[in-house]
Amino acid sequence: MSVKDTLLTGSAHVNGIDIAYVDKGEGDPVVLLHGFPDSHYLWRHQIDPLVEAGFRVIAPDLRGFGESGKPQEVEAYDMRTIVNDVVALTQHLGIPKAHIVGHDWGAAIAWMYAFLMPRRVDHLAVLSVGHPGVFSTPSIEQRKASWYMLFYQFPGVSEQLLRRNGWRLFKEIMGGEGDHQRYPRELAKPGALTAALNWYRANRSPESELRVEANFPPVLAPTLGIWSTGDKALLEEGMTGSVKFVKGSWRYERVEDASHWIPLDQPEIVTKLLLGFLGTEKAAAVPTRRRRL
Amino acid sequence: MTVEHTGVDVVVVGGGIAGASAAANLAFNGLSVVLLEKQETYQDIVRGEWIAPWGLREAQTLGVEEAFGLGGAWEIREWTQWDETVDPAEAETVDMTRFVPGVGGPMSFPHHEVCALMAEQAEDNGATVVMGAQRAHVTAGTHPEVRWTHAGQEHLARPRLVIGATGRGCTVGRQVGVSMATSVHHWGGGLRVTGLDDWPMDVQAMGTEDEKMFMVFPQGDGNARLYINFPTANRKLYQGPEGEKRFIADFELASLPDRGKAVYSAAKPIGPLKLWPSVAMFPEQPIVMDGVVLVGDEAGNADTVLGTGLSCSLRDTRAVCEVLTGGDDWSPGAFEGYLAERKFRMDRLHFGADIIAKLYCEYGPAAAERRRRARGLMAENFAASVTGLLNMVPPEDVPDFGFSEFFAERLFRERA
Ligand SMILES: Cc1cc2nc3c(=O)[nH]c(=O)nc-3n(C[C@H](O)[C@H](O)[C@H](O)COP(=O)(O)OP(=O)(O)OC[C@H]3O[C@@H](n4cnc5c(N)ncnc54)[C@H](O)[C@@H]3O)c2cc1C
Repeated sequence: MSVKDTLLTGSAHVNGIDIAYVDKGEGDPVVLLHGFPDSHYLWRHQIDPLVEAGFRVIAPDLRGFGESGKPQEVEAYDMRTIVNDVVALTQHLGIPKAHIVGHDWGAAIAWMYAFLMPRRVDHLAVLSVGHPGVFSTPSIEQRKASWYMLFYQFPGVSEQLLRRNGWRLFKEIMGGEGDHQRYPRELAKPGALTAALNWYRANRSPESELRVEANFPPVLAPTLGIWSTGDKALLEEGMTGSVKFVKGSWRYERVEDASHWIPLDQPEIVTKLLLGFLGTEKAAAVPTRRRRL
Repeated sequence: MTVEHTGVDVVVVGGGIAGASAAANLAFNGLSVVLLEKQETYQDIVRGEWIAPWGLREAQTLGVEEAFGLGGAWEIREWTQWDETVDPAEAETVDMTRFVPGVGGPMSFPHHEVCALMAEQAEDNGATVVMGAQRAHVTAGTHPEVRWTHAGQEHLARPRLVIGATGRGCTVGRQVGVSMATSVHHWGGGLRVTGLDDWPMDVQAMGTEDEKMFMVFPQGDGNARLYINFPTANRKLYQGPEGEKRFIADFELASLPDRGKAVYSAAKPIGPLKLWPSVAMFPEQPIVMDGVVLVGDEAGNADTVLGTGLSCSLRDTRAVCEVLTGGDDWSPGAFEGYLAERKFRMDRLHFGADIIAKLYCEYGPAAAERRRRARGLMAENFAASVTGLLNMVPPEDVPDFGFSEFFAERLFRERA
């Protein structure tokens, strides 16, 4: 009866899980990775313009979200596992190399994908979340903005508290941003809330993941960072400071009049930035692979 | 050619809060249910959007509470009683989250969204939901019959029981011979607005000033339902093209902090302004007979000023569903408990609504004096605010003395 908000075109069993996705258009592939608590639907304003501009767009529901599998164990949401979902999906679709675009947790996945899998990445575009190496110690301001990430850690308890009294606490945290009216309906589906929170439980917060690892391999792909002035949880330095980790060319764009959900709040600007960037630059020299004897 | 639906246990006519919740619950319990709703899709037909904690408790028991939260409900936690007889800085605030265990405060929500979700839930549970059902006609009897048309096609079902839930139009009731006595105490107007960024979303307002009883019910995120109740004689006040503007401007009130600036200077309409007579309805014949049971507004309702119509509808549904899922006896005798409880409940609600309407929806110096005195009495002895409890807890949990003539007389006594 209600309109189901979906543009999905297919589903594949890869890396041990069902991943639903949009695969639309022909041309250089672009992979769009959403964050919390979204789905491929976050990119609804960008998909068609990219297709019309001659790209093949792949937009999965990442595990735990939308129509994809929702394991209930925390361990299933390790970042590497999720990066491998994307690798396996692109392999399944016959795509050896793609532009990678990510927002929020999807940006964290995109960063990691880029430095772990340099040969599979053409251009990298990251929205909202900067390179994980930027904040070795989060500032107080950053911590305050992300208090709820801590709160999400308590399995069972936070699910109950978030849903209680008509999802009151969840609505308070979310405010009127993003697809705020849709999220509770999505998260009310069986197992969806626990799955979504498991992203935080397994990895704390998008920008703190991998902090423990001292040395990140450099990102060789040309990289575009986008941050919005209305982001209440993430600081601009997180994005601008990412430059030190990028060996390819680096471009930074600040978007005004947008909350954290830049693809929804400034859809045309995001589309324009992507179209003006993807496929325009050369990658930094890929280190030659040493042949084993 | 008529399509006949066989093997149907229950046909529910009307898919408002009462009908949709009944269909969801009965289908969940394995009964074969057809729900007939005349609207093609749910629209804002201006119904209650504030549900009391005791109504939410009923929703929980029925298993339909999630439809509120997912349909955009916002829990309100505090109630500040501003009024022209009090300095805004001195208005008292009541914490509304602790009246009913296991439930928080009341909720404010977009009515039609919640109905749509409940109907969807009924469908997911296996009910047949017919949107756009026209000309539903019910014949009572030990073998009741329901006919309707849908997309030009005639349909017929012979269920074991029909639940009439068509609301204040009382369509089923009239078809089976139940008429209503009505009374109107005042009129009201309601408008959904946005932009209230400076109004605390935790706080609802109710109070009286000049010829207006005003209410602000936040819905989160700067949205709110605004209501004004006013004397019947003023019912033209907000009619016409500039009606909404005048309605919002009337929230400039000396009773509110900063003269209500957070409302009158910020509110932008996001729905139609609707005006209606605040009517109480009393059924003149039994609402249960062979093959038909009436619930919700169709079974009679108290003055909307109480804000208990939704809770009552859910209570009705719960009582009727308990009979239908609890045993095989669906004869009128099986609903005696429902009838007795409803009579007791409505007697109390009508009594309470009379007190509230007299106290807050009558205007002018004498009425203000009455409110001032009542307020004094309540400050002196908290028990005097007993009627206010009807908004929070079910009528049977309100102390008896609140329904005595003696109490009403004390409350309204002119100074000797
Ligand atoms: C302006 C206003 C403000 C109110 N404020 C509050 C409040 O704040 N709190 C509160 O608790 N209560 C409030 N109420 C009362 C509350 O709205 C009602 O008690 C409640 O909606 C009754 O539910 P119902 O399902 O019985 O009827 P309704 O909500 O009237 O629903 C009846 C449904 O049946 C459908 N229908 C009608 N005729 C037919 C037919 N022939 N065939 C098929 N379908 C049909 C209608 O389209 C509708 O969907 C208010 C009422 C009004 C009018």
